[in-house]
Amino acid sequence: MPHNRLALAAGFAALVLAVSACGGAGDSGGGSGGGDAGTPGTTAGFDGTTIKLGVLSPLSGPVAVIGLPLTAGNKVWFDHLNSTGGVAGKYKVELVQEDTQYKPDVTVQQYNKVKGNVVAFTQVLGTPSTLAVLPQLKTDKVLAAPASLDALWVREENLLPVGGPYQVQAINAIDYYLTEGGGSKDSKICTMSQDDVYGEAGLAGVAEAAKVHGFTVANQQKFKAGTENYAGQIQALAGAGCQMVFLTATPSDAGKIFGTAAQGRFAPKWYAQSPSYAGALSKSAVAPYMQANVLIVSEGTEWGDTNVPGMKDMVERATKFAPAQQPDYYFAFGYNQARAMTAVLEKAVAKGNLSRDGILAASKELGTVTFDGLTGDYKYGSVDDRNPPRTSTLFAIDPAKPFGLKTVKYNFTSDAAKNYEFKKAG
Amino acid sequence: MSPELTAFLTNCFAGLALGSTYALVALGFVVIYKSTGVINFAQGGLLALGAYLGYTFSENLALAFGLSILFACLAAAFVGAGFERIVLRRMVGQPPFAVIMITIGLLFIIEPVLTAVWGFDNLQVPNPWNIQTVEAGGLVFGVRDLWTIGITIAVVTAFFLFFRFSGFGLAMRATAFDPEAALAQGISAKKVYAVSWAIAAALAALAGITLAAGPGGLSPSIGFIALAAFPAMILGGMDSPAGAVLGGIVIGLAEALTRGYQDQLFSWAGDNVSIIVPYLLMIVILLIRPYGLLGTKDVRRI
Repeated sequence: MPHNRLALAAGFAALVLAVSACGGAGDSGGGSGGGDAGTPGTTAGFDGTTIKLGVLSPLSGPVAVIGLPLTAGNKVWFDHLNSTGGVAGKYKVELVQEDTQYKPDVTVQQYNKVKGNVVAFTQVLGTPSTLAVLPQLKTDKVLAAPASLDALWVREENLLPVGGPYQVQAINAIDYYLTEGGGSKDSKICTMSQDDVYGEAGLAGVAEAAKVHGFTVANQQKFKAGTENYAGQIQALAGAGCQMVFLTATPSDAGKIFGTAAQGRFAPKWYAQSPSYAGALSKSAVAPYMQANVLIVSEGTEWGDTNVPGMKDMVERATKFAPAQQPDYYFAFGYNQARAMTAVLEKAVAKGNLSRDGILAASKELGTVTFDGLTGDYKYGSVDDRNPPRTSTLFAIDPAKPFGLKTVKYNFTSDAAKNYEFKKAG
Repeated sequence: MSPELTAFLTNCFAGLALGSTYALVALGFVVIYKSTGVINFAQGGLLALGAYLGYTFSENLALAFGLSILFACLAAAFVGAGFERIVLRRMVGQPPFAVIMITIGLLFIIEPVLTAVWGFDNLQVPNPWNIQTVEAGGLVFGVRDLWTIGITIAVVTAFFLFFRFSGFGLAMRATAFDPEAALAQGISAKKVYAVSWAIAAALAALAGITLAAGPGGLSPSIGFIALAAFPAMILGGMDSPAGAVLGGIVIGLAEALTRGYQDQLFSWAGDNVSIIVPYLLMIVILLIRPYGLLGTKDVRRI
């Protein structure tokens, strides 16, 4: 399970999105193209006044630590939207939440339980759960937004992903290291990754960067999530003379890895994939080591950065509708998912069709959704033409910041990331 | 010292530290098995419970770390003995299989209880070890690892002295050997069972806190390490405390050394050979010595 968490954790990358949807449901309240159709008729999940959206998320169990804030992000956005009148200013949105316990079989059960009562799913959390319901989404012609940064979703027309995939993070991080981070193609660049689909996604990005920049990965270490002792891997990385290590992990393992490295006086430049970090690490015993040696590659900006309008809005809305909410990247991810889904609903309403077919058609005509400067634009539309964000932000550890991260380089895109091609799953 | 020797010794030290934790957990398995004939699958849950109790004493009640360890072990022992008294005592005379299923049930009950009380977040246990190191002879030793090894040695020594020289230790051995004969001699089997559970829970708590004091902190999944300690018990011999310790150390060393030399020696076998090594060792040992390295030959297996 832990490794799947990663996929979820992926959400983390959505550090603070604030979105405004071009031609969709942004703060600009912009309508979408078309808009000449009549009032949408009632359909499953829409009674003429309220649009119901499904949420399939682990609301209990170990992964609830991700599912709860992510769902809170969904809810805060729709609470805000409803306070302004709702979709197209007149249709309120109601969430139908079901607990998946982060189990694919339970996810399928819950999907079947509520699919007849919702127009779409604004969250399906995790790679395994998304894969489990994907065949039925296709059969039922239902649209769902996966809470996962796997690149697999880019070319799936029944899915509405947000955020830049893991591969993009890895490519941009290595590009930064080679151009501004003191490295060169002759540097000893190494990897340490979980032995699962999340780890493979990071390695795919590293392999692409190696191909583009013409370097050879000096040493690759893998580990199973939940490993207790990392001395062997750290020894191997140190023995190989690694000067830069790209890490794909979750926070608990990352803490142990950094701790073991600190104890072994091994201090390369670590570049860690976004799900490797959690705010607690900035207050842990390994924080000084991380401050000196670790950069986190993610998206968006620092929590509470009022220079970014979307962040400013999100924090204000969180304060208003969920005052107990703590700074949390998963919250931001859920918030952005809801924004993207709202853009689809606005388009569907404008076309006068909130049926499943209507929503799928709307998603294909969505165009580009702009994330308000916090992460790159997501170009939706036909799956073959979809283009996810290619931008990343690098953060350093700073315990004084709300989430323990301060921006090192904001919202940048490498040429290698721009040119990376995403393939269809399977 | 050559880099190769340094790497080898560092890996050995890591294996000893890991093996010490395995030994504490495996010892808990053996204590209960030896006295009751039951494999306690809830040992991982008790480990997690002890770790969270240690967190509460150390973080919420701001007690000194040493006191937190002590109180957590005592509290876990109380829970272990209480469970035996309230639930398992009613199962005396019932097939061991039924009791084993109850321990599995306990394992599944503990985790939701823990998360209901402490949540799912990764917690940092205030402790003086953290990632501190000391250097000697050109080698760097983690302070927590040194303490883990030292505590294990101390506990195992005390454990053997208790069994060999104390009256109650003798009673436990007698009950384990022949419950009916022990009963005929006036030894309370109920008391022995309760104390066995208390000791096992305290050992689990000790392992849990030393683990949680590491840089990875404390999360609900901390009890998973009991799965890795399980082969240690089998390998050493299910009814042998000495075997549990030996098994723990062997498994820890094998895991660390395999990991350390994965690139040079085992790259042909995939990336995670170190994870399967404990189980491979267990299978090999069982094929050669079905009762484990130090187990008693007539042990009945479930």
